[in-house]
Amino acid sequence: MAAIPKGKGEIGKDMVVLFEDQQKINLFAKKNSLLNDIKDQITEKERIFKNVEDAADELILFDDDQMVPYEIGEVFVLLSLEEAQQKLEDYKLELQKELDKLKEQASSIEELLSKVKSQLYAKFGDNINLEADS
Amino acid sequence: MAESSKKENGVSSDKSQEEEKAKSKEEKTEELPDTSYRANLPKAIFVEDVDKFMQEPGNSSAEQVLRRFDELHTKYKFMESNLLEKKRRLRNRLPDIQKTLNMIKYLKSIQGSDKSFTTHYQLSGGVHGTAEVPPTDIVYLWLGANVMLEYPIDEAMELLTNNLDNAVKSLNGVEEDLEYITEQCTTLEVAMTRVYNWDVKERREKKLASLQQQLQQ
Repeated sequence: MAAIPKGKGEIGKDMVVLFEDQQKINLFAKKNSLLNDIKDQITEKERIFKNVEDAADELILFDDDQMVPYEIGEVFVLLSLEEAQQKLEDYKLELQKELDKLKEQASSIEELLSKVKSQLYAKFGDNINLEADS
Repeated sequence: MAESSKKENGVSSDKSQEEEKAKSKEEKTEELPDTSYRANLPKAIFVEDVDKFMQEPGNSSAEQVLRRFDELHTKYKFMESNLLEKKRRLRNRLPDIQKTLNMIKYLKSIQGSDKSFTTHYQLSGGVHGTAEVPPTDIVYLWLGANVMLEYPIDEAMELLTNNLDNAVKSLNGVEEDLEYITEQCTTLEVAMTRVYNWDVKERREKKLASLQQQLQQ
C-alpha cells in the first residue's frame, strides 16, 4: 500500500494536525488506492484490446468464404468472415469506450491527488511522505 | 480430436438442447444484502491534541496506547484482506456472467430465423466436438446446487442481466467498505505515529531535565 503518511523526519517541533488535515490525508490514501485499481483495470483492458486487434488483423488473411470459429460464451460458433469481423469490430468499440471512461476517471483523480498532495506538503513538509513505495 | 466425429452425425433438436444446457450453465448466485462492514466496525478516533489525549483516563503510558492502537490496526487489516478477497471473487464473476449473456444474445439474434449454426463445443479438456444448433426459443440455465431450469430466451436474458447488475452492485458495496477501512486505517496510523513521536519527545525532555538537575547539584 502506497503513501501511508508517516512522520519520518526527526521529531522537531510538534506538528499540529487538525481534523481537516486528517480528512485530507484520508482522501489522499483513498483516492490513491482507487487510482492504482483503475490503472490495473486499464492495463488489463488494453491487453484485451490488443488481442482483439491482433485477431482482426489475422482475419484479413482469411478467404471470403471461409468460416471462422468465433468464441461466444463457452463455445466456438462458426461464423462467416463478415459476421466475425463485425463482431470483433463491435467488441473493439465497446472496449474503447470502457477504456476512455477509465482513463478519464484516472486523470481526474490524478488531478485531485496532486492538488491535495501540494496542500499537505505545504503544511507538513518533511513530516509526511506521500510518495508511492517503490 | 479423435473424438470429434462422435457427435457429428445424428444431430437432432434433442441434441441441440443438450447443447444449450452445456452452454448456458450459469450459477444463479443470489446476492444476499451485504451486512455492511461499516455498520459493525469501530471508527478510528482522531487525535487532535496528543498532550490532552494522553491525559485521558486509560491512557497512562504511550506503550499501552500504542498496543491498543496496534490491536485495532490488525483488526482493520484483517477485514481489509477479507474484503479484498471478496472483491476479487466478484470481479471474476462479472466476465462469467457476461460470457453467458453474450451467448444468449447471440441465440436471440438468430431467434425466429431458420438459420441454424455450427459450433465447436468442448467435450472435455482440449477435446472439441461439432454440433448443429437450430434457432431455439428456450435455453436451460444452471442455477447452481445441481439444479437447471428451462427459460424462454427473453426471461433468461432478464435473469442474467439482473445477476450482472447485482454483482456490480455488491462490488460497489465492497469497494465502499474498503474505502471506509482505508480511511480508518489511515486515521489510526497518523494517531500511532503522533503518539509515538510524542513519547520520544517526552522521554527526551525528561532525560534533559534530569541531566540539568544533576549539573546543578
